[in-house]
Amino acid sequence: MVFTSLALFVRNRGPDEFWRKRKILKLSAHFYGRRRNCYSIAIRAVHRALVSATKGRKLKKEDMVALWETRITAGCEEHNMTYPLFREGLVRCNILLNRKTLADLAVWEPRTFKSLVKVAHARVSQDGLAGVTELGDPPSGIITRGMLK
Amino acid sequence: MTAYKRVQQWNTFARVWHLYDATWQNPFESAQRIMKYLKGLHKPIYHPLNDCGDHVVVINSGEIALLGDEWRKRVYFHHTGYPGGATWTLAWELHDKDPTMIMKKAVYNVMDGNLQRRYTMQRLHIYPDDDVPEKIKQNITNQIRQLRPVPKRLDRYAPEEVQRFPKVMDWPKNYILR
Repeated sequence: MVFTSLALFVRNRGPDEFWRKRKILKLSAHFYGRRRNCYSIAIRAVHRALVSATKGRKLKKEDMVALWETRITAGCEEHNMTYPLFREGLVRCNILLNRKTLADLAVWEPRTFKSLVKVAHARVSQDGLAGVTELGDPPSGIITRGMLK
Repeated sequence: MTAYKRVQQWNTFARVWHLYDATWQNPFESAQRIMKYLKGLHKPIYHPLNDCGDHVVVINSGEIALLGDEWRKRVYFHHTGYPGGATWTLAWELHDKDPTMIMKKAVYNVMDGNLQRRYTMQRLHIYPDDDVPEKIKQNITNQIRQLRPVPKRLDRYAPEEVQRFPKVMDWPKNYILR
């Protein structure tokens, strides 16, 4: 752009109006009604949508964590184990699997998950944590690192 | 989808029918446990959007046990929607009227108030005694563990068993038992 005077340069409002609005209207292309095409309404809706998207990035992670915990709890209760004791037992055996992996194992690899529960059970009952007596007798023949003293 | 995968899918999402004996159980704590089975929270495949809940058949709901003086103190509120249409019913009155109602409301209230709640409740079958229709009885394949074991009442023991129970001493002949 060519500015013949300083006054015209100050009046200039950045890039061309059409393309400036175009950027916003592209983001509102999938909205319903006038929020899609009328710029002054679209810009408000786009701002709102971007705020929700920012919040949603965090909420999505929290929702997934809650779902994984529900699934692991369900898997544990099939083998008469509680979620906190299970996680504590695994950490003490230095089996550092995250919630996502454990939930996947509970769904797709139930035998693997059962053996993990057994390992955790043996470890927590050896360490005598609170609440192990309700779990029943510890499984026999389980030896992991840190259990031999 | 192969035939094997299809059968695997059926088996994974097949509904199981559970039996729960509510004799001498706290209905509000039992509701927490029953709700898990109704919503499918006891399965590792659980997801709020997949339909993996099971059926639960509750028997002997007439024999539930409320804590302390809850029978006299717990109040159920209902409003017809018309002016002056509010009623407050005591737990024992409600139980006299319908022995399944306290159990039903307990389960209904522990679930989240979403659109799925009414449909989940349809999978709950409550009977005031152990008289369950044959059509429902033949589906049951599993029993949910009770919260606490039911002790046997003294008047349910045979007189010989009571006689044989070890005792420290006999009452004197001239002692009048009241």
